[in-house]
Amino acid sequence: MASEHVEADNAEAIITRIEHKSRKIESLLKQNKPVEALKTALEGPPPKTKDERCKSANWIAVHRAIMAIKDLDSLFFALDPEYYDILMKYLYRGLSTGDRPTCDQCLRIHERLTEKAGLGCILRSLADTVNTV
Amino acid sequence: MAANTLRLYLTCIRNTLEAAMCLQNFPCQEVERHNKPEVELKTSPELLLNSVIICRNEAERCLIETSINSLRISLKVKQADELENILTKKFLRFLSMRAEAFQVLRRKPVQGYDISFLVTNYHCEEMQKHKLIDFIVQFMEDIDKEISELKLSVNTRGRLVATEFLKQFI
Repeated sequence: MASEHVEADNAEAIITRIEHKSRKIESLLKQNKPVEALKTALEGPPPKTKDERCKSANWIAVHRAIMAIKDLDSLFFALDPEYYDILMKYLYRGLSTGDRPTCDQCLRIHERLTEKAGLGCILRSLADTVNTV
Repeated sequence: MAANTLRLYLTCIRNTLEAAMCLQNFPCQEVERHNKPEVELKTSPELLLNSVIICRNEAERCLIETSINSLRISLKVKQADELENILTKKFLRFLSMRAEAFQVLRRKPVQGYDISFLVTNYHCEEMQKHKLIDFIVQFMEDIDKEISELKLSVNTRGRLVATEFLKQFI
């Protein structure tokens, strides 16, 4: 019982944090910095929570940042390797939506990300059943 | 543009399959002396990997489910109109009925998809992994061509028959 209450509180706190993040992302996108926006979106705790709302909220923020990316070279130039795994998980979430522009963008980034990060990145996103997005 | 997305879609599927096709022999945990493809039964969650859906657009998608000793790939093919719907169903049913000849084909497609493949560790031992993946990707490319050809021939034949039939009324 107690752990459920803690979960709920955590969920509210996490959702508030995600909203803060969304605002930061929006402002970064207005300043034409899609790569920073994506980095901000990929940071943070949500993979550690089981709550679907938190995951959905974070997915919406990441989706916004992913769709704003135009230049893939600059993306991979600026993105640190530690973000590759989590980006791959979000790409697969994007690919499962079925929405045409999202899928186009995700397929494009997926190809480049696989070239950069290798098959290990894909396998880690498939094998990680604990931290799903 | 469409050719580019097709290329990206197939590349994505190829990469995912290369990563996911890491199969090894695993005797059944529940029943002695049995060896079953775990992806079909889904009894033990620790033996299953996350399943991924790769969509090209609203109509075409590919579901890849992996487990420790088997891998299931389900495809939903683009069907633009009623005629393509019927042609796809008939053609893929024709292939599925002859699944023995293909070895990796599944007799019935997974619910919600048009055709399914089941690759087990035995297939990977007998055949080369990259050739299996080549086969599946080639299959996806050829399906589209086949269905278009079938549709074209049906329309041509319909037109010829109609012309001949209506000639008697001129």
